[in-house]
Amino acid sequence: MSSIRLRLLKWLAGPVIVINLAGAGLTYLLAWTPAQVAFDQGLLDAAAALAARAQLGAAHAVDPAPRADALDATWFSVRTADGRLLAGDADFPLRPPAGSAQIYDATIRGEPVRAVVVAAQAAGVGPLQVGAARTVRKLRQVRSATLRSLALIEVALTLALVGLVWLSVGNGLAPLARMRANLAARDGDDLTPVSLDGMPYELAPVVNAFNDLLDKVEAGAKARHDFLADIAHQLRTPLAGLKLQLEWLSTRHGADPETVDSIRLMGLANERMIRQTNQLLALARATAAAAGKVRAEPLDLAQLVQEAVQYFVGEADRKGLDIGFELALAPAVGDPFQLRDLIDNLVDNAVRYTPAGGTVTVRCGRDAEGAFLVVEDSGPGIAPAKRALVFERFVRLGDTSPGSGLGLAVVRDIARAHRARVMLDSRADGSGAVFTVRFPA
Amino acid sequence: MHVLLVEDDAVLADGLSRVLQGNGMQVALAADGLVADQLLQKSTAAVVVLDIGLPGIDGFEVVRRLRARGSTVPVLLLTARDAVEDRVRGLELGADDYLVKPFATAELVARIRALARRNAPKPALLSLGQLTLDTAARRARIGERALELSVREWAVLEYLLQQSGRVVSKQQIIDAILPWGDDLTLNAVEVYVSRLRIKLLDAGIAIRTIRGFGYLLEAQA
Repeated sequence: MSSIRLRLLKWLAGPVIVINLAGAGLTYLLAWTPAQVAFDQGLLDAAAALAARAQLGAAHAVDPAPRADALDATWFSVRTADGRLLAGDADFPLRPPAGSAQIYDATIRGEPVRAVVVAAQAAGVGPLQVGAARTVRKLRQVRSATLRSLALIEVALTLALVGLVWLSVGNGLAPLARMRANLAARDGDDLTPVSLDGMPYELAPVVNAFNDLLDKVEAGAKARHDFLADIAHQLRTPLAGLKLQLEWLSTRHGADPETVDSIRLMGLANERMIRQTNQLLALARATAAAAGKVRAEPLDLAQLVQEAVQYFVGEADRKGLDIGFELALAPAVGDPFQLRDLIDNLVDNAVRYTPAGGTVTVRCGRDAEGAFLVVEDSGPGIAPAKRALVFERFVRLGDTSPGSGLGLAVVRDIARAHRARVMLDSRADGSGAVFTVRFPA
Repeated sequence: MHVLLVEDDAVLADGLSRVLQGNGMQVALAADGLVADQLLQKSTAAVVVLDIGLPGIDGFEVVRRLRARGSTVPVLLLTARDAVEDRVRGLELGADDYLVKPFATAELVARIRALARRNAPKPALLSLGQLTLDTAARRARIGERALELSVREWAVLEYLLQQSGRVVSKQQIIDAILPWGDDLTLNAVEVYVSRLRIKLLDAGIAIRTIRGFGYLLEAQA
């Protein structure tokens, strides 16, 4: 893993700092050179004035003592060509002027100075060397103040640059962060493409490639579910045949208790296979529902329950349960097959987990909030802490009961696809389980 | 009653034949769509039980050809698929009913009988357990003993017998017997059923209450 921010910082900050330093150097030179030139010019003027006086023979009138202002001291020297000191300071480090004047750095009494030497002619004395020097204390103060200011400015500029890069990278990457949040908030089976709305043009290839991948995953999932549904469909015919053969056998051999018992067990196993085959189909349909492919036709939940009453009564009889119905008009919009799956799974679930002698009641109707379906049983119920769990795939609370653990997940998927809410509660006295499905009005 | 059964799965076809014969029907069997099509051209079957997935031509095509010839014999489609398109297509082509495998035997038998009734005069005799209803003579007997029934009781019992083994709602009962009665409440149905129960105590049959819904007439075990 590498950070785009750090990469950008590395690639931007280095060169920018170098460029800034070069700029600072140039600024320094530009600011410094005039000061140096003015300083030198002052010395040259002083030396020239001294030379003029020496030519007038007034060199002796030059005050030999160093003249000092608040900061800097000044020295003079006037010597003949043969080195005789006519005026000024004896320890002035004169250099023979190359041409008419020379400017150089030197040291007087242990202190660095800037010095000039000019050539002059004095009547009766011959050629003269006239020097003037001044300490560079003020100059140095100015220089270090300039350097400090420049350094501060550079540091501030560099920090501002780093901050800008950091912020603008964050800003530039905001669409990625939004995409990440969108993907993180999805369910595992939500394979709808990522929207290109609000995505920068540069991200489009990535988003498109990702959407292509989602398409492939969805096609793969669909192929698997189609295969599953196909297998389940193909199992139905032999299962139906087996069921009929077993029923015929039990009518033929009803007198022999051992045969009857054996046939009964085979019948139970067959019923289980039939139920699980139907659940596989329901799962395949619910997955299609979860992918948003829901038929939307107006229907009556009471009608759907009525169509299944025969089957429910048969199941309840097999288990020795009292099943009852309180059906009122319950108009909803949706896919009748999926909603039948939802109802079947809720009732199957209630029948399976309610012990013999118990009751199961299926209720539907509508109120101010819309249509509702309630399946209530007198079974052991589900502890409040586990209620959210039962809607997960492959979760079974009691391992003693036969079941695939798919039923309630199918219920949840179908309800969700119909924008219906599923609630799980206990009966008023705290016993049993009450599943309520509320449809949008 | 003659039933033509068209099903290519040998185990299911055999099981269906046995069960239908066990319910007093004569069953002819075809395992191929083309064979079924030929048989239907001279068949006297009262009802056709037709699988959709068949070798030769499929069940849809068999129905289409059957109706194209102008035949009105009732057709009950059997299918492993419960896609709504299949159901709609089957019914549009002229099938009369539709059952998804695997089905409850009682449901299948009841639907075949219902289809046969729709297309044929009412059978003179309805019976279950010790009870016999002679609809032509309008006489009811339990064993050899004559049973006195009011007009309404007769209508309710006749409907329950026709639908024996199936759960029927009170509203279905009212709808079925309305030609005889003008105005009937759900409570009235309850009254007739409780009277019938008393009269049928020794008939070897039971009218079960399906709580909040209706009734189920079945032979007592």
